[in-house]
Amino acid sequence: MPSFIWCKTIQWADWSISLAYSILALCLTSLTYNNISILCKNRKMMERTGIFHHVCRIKYISPPQTAGGGSASFCHVLVHGQHQQIRTDRRRARAASCSRSNFSDVQSAVMAFLCRSAASLLKPYRAAPAVLSAARLYSSGGNYEYILVEKRGEKKNVGFIQLNRPKALNALCDGLMKEVGQALDAFEADGDVGAVVITGSEKAFAAGADIKEMQNRTFQECYGGNFLAHWNRVSTVKKPVIAAVNGFALGGGCEFAMMCDIIYAGEKAQFGQPEILLGTIPGAGGTQRLTRAVGKSLAMEMVLTGDRIGAQEAKQSGLVSKVYPVDQLVSEAVKCGEKIAANSKLVSAMAKEAVNAAFELTLAEGNRLEKRLFHATFATDDRKEGMTAFVEKRKASFQDN
Amino acid sequence: LFLFCVVFADNNSTSYIGSFKIGVNVDFCLHTGGNYEYILVEKRGEKKNVGFIQLNRPKALNALCDGLMKEVGQALDAFEADGDVGAVVITGSEKAFAAGADIKEMQNRTFQECYGGNFLAHWNRVSTVKKPVIAAVNGFALGGGCEFAMMCDIIYAGEKAQFGQPEILLGTIPGAGGTQRLTRAVGKSLAMEMVLTGDRIGAQEAKQSGLVSKVYPVDQLVSEAVKCGEKIAANSKLVSAMAKEAVNAAFELTLAEGNRLEKRLFHATFATDDRKEGMTAFVEKRKASFQDN
Repeated sequence: MPSFIWCKTIQWADWSISLAYSILALCLTSLTYNNISILCKNRKMMERTGIFHHVCRIKYISPPQTAGGGSASFCHVLVHGQHQQIRTDRRRARAASCSRSNFSDVQSAVMAFLCRSAASLLKPYRAAPAVLSAARLYSSGGNYEYILVEKRGEKKNVGFIQLNRPKALNALCDGLMKEVGQALDAFEADGDVGAVVITGSEKAFAAGADIKEMQNRTFQECYGGNFLAHWNRVSTVKKPVIAAVNGFALGGGCEFAMMCDIIYAGEKAQFGQPEILLGTIPGAGGTQRLTRAVGKSLAMEMVLTGDRIGAQEAKQSGLVSKVYPVDQLVSEAVKCGEKIAANSKLVSAMAKEAVNAAFELTLAEGNRLEKRLFHATFATDDRKEGMTAFVEKRKASFQDN
Repeated sequence: LFLFCVVFADNNSTSYIGSFKIGVNVDFCLHTGGNYEYILVEKRGEKKNVGFIQLNRPKALNALCDGLMKEVGQALDAFEADGDVGAVVITGSEKAFAAGADIKEMQNRTFQECYGGNFLAHWNRVSTVKKPVIAAVNGFALGGGCEFAMMCDIIYAGEKAQFGQPEILLGTIPGAGGTQRLTRAVGKSLAMEMVLTGDRIGAQEAKQSGLVSKVYPVDQLVSEAVKCGEKIAANSKLVSAMAKEAVNAAFELTLAEGNRLEKRLFHATFATDDRKEGMTAFVEKRKASFQDN
């Protein structure tokens, strides 16, 4: 139901701002993301500024996100069906930079002001129910264009990301990788989630990177724009990630799977690095992780010929650890995730760090890191609880502390 | 008695001249299995040239405690010093190689005690031995037991062997090389799965993944391991130590530097009598007789 906020004056006197602020606060807390039409009473002023002609319909306000970790925060606002991105930090509100914006400074300031108020309301992130529903919407599958996100498992402790670009056989485009990064961020912050499962469709996990996106790039654009820089987000996640690969995992798809900690394959899975057939080479770790996994000869063969290997050969060569029938793969991966999520999240992160260090350090130094981490587990409550439970022959109850 | 002392001293590279009778007896016992609380020690093989250490804590499924690891270290020291022994075989019982570290020992430790007391420091003694060590794993090799087996140079598994790193289920992580050696052996996916879930793998999967090199029936495992030890002990001990050093360096150096170390060691073998004897025997189509020199 639309609610109206009356901007009593356009003279930006303090009292009017605070009145509008309070009215906005009232409306926003009671109605989550409904249409908010702003009509300014002072027609003359509106005509002067042009606001009258723009009945702002703020259709959706996203939770404020920081872009690039800086101090700026943005609201994504659908205005007149156009997706605007408005800075909400105070300093720049006046010169609110709306992408593709036709609005004057005043109008931008109005919208920035609304977004700021929305942002300040959304700050008590976990407290406000309106905000919680937004967060749930965001992290539980809503609002993604290229992926589906939910939580699975009996205790809903396994994050689940399904790549969802069926027409493109889940080809990895920049937008998809950004969304995967956002979903992983949400799962990292979620205290319920202990492990993450990533999968594609039955036909294809991810059949490569989006060639059309890359076709006309120049070296300068790639280097200057740091192409593929954020594509390794999944390799920096602290929580264990399981890739459930059904069908094709080729090129970027194979690299994406190899960035995960554990790979489960369906019986018809195919792994390959066919970049050479396009006149390029793997760019997201394919040559490194594949060689470490399957050995030099097979890696050279795959990278230089573009040939694929099936699930059984992938298991024998050490690339994947389990092969399951196509229809059981995802549930088995979720079961594995549940097993992992039952342990201490804190200690699992340390275990994962130690295993990954095997690829970065010599054996002696890796052993030293592992020993330091092992000693450090003795400073955790979970270690004491786990060992005590073992001695007392009961089930441990970990607190991630 | 003095002659006995002298003769005995000649057999060892360490000198026991002037040792008393009791000392000699102790030394003799150290070699032949007496005086150990947690392990059994002897020499096996036709020529008694394979050192044999059997973990012996049946009630605890051979759980590794500090005392056991110290005794293993002592036995290995003795075999290192023994000029007859060319290789060492370590095994457990048929039921368990070593079912883990002793949890009761660790339960109440604090971080301060661990770091300050350098907990687990001497547990890697077996990885610093110069002579080749073969682990004959029957039954469970879990946690510290799996790490202990992986410190050895060669692993032979019985058909019912089980390998695992279940430390995560106790709220800790492997602390004696498990995450490092397992990953290098079986690859990332399987290592992550084992370390994060605590799940075990059987002998066949261990062989396929590269963790063990042979699988034998349960009752033949130890004898096959001793046979392998005899094969190794028939070669030059000096050159075997160099070969082992080169293989271990593959995990410490880049390929180019590892190749350089290997080449330097290879060149160094030409300073040994054994190399000349071995190549000459080959050319003359006769059996080589190595002198470890």
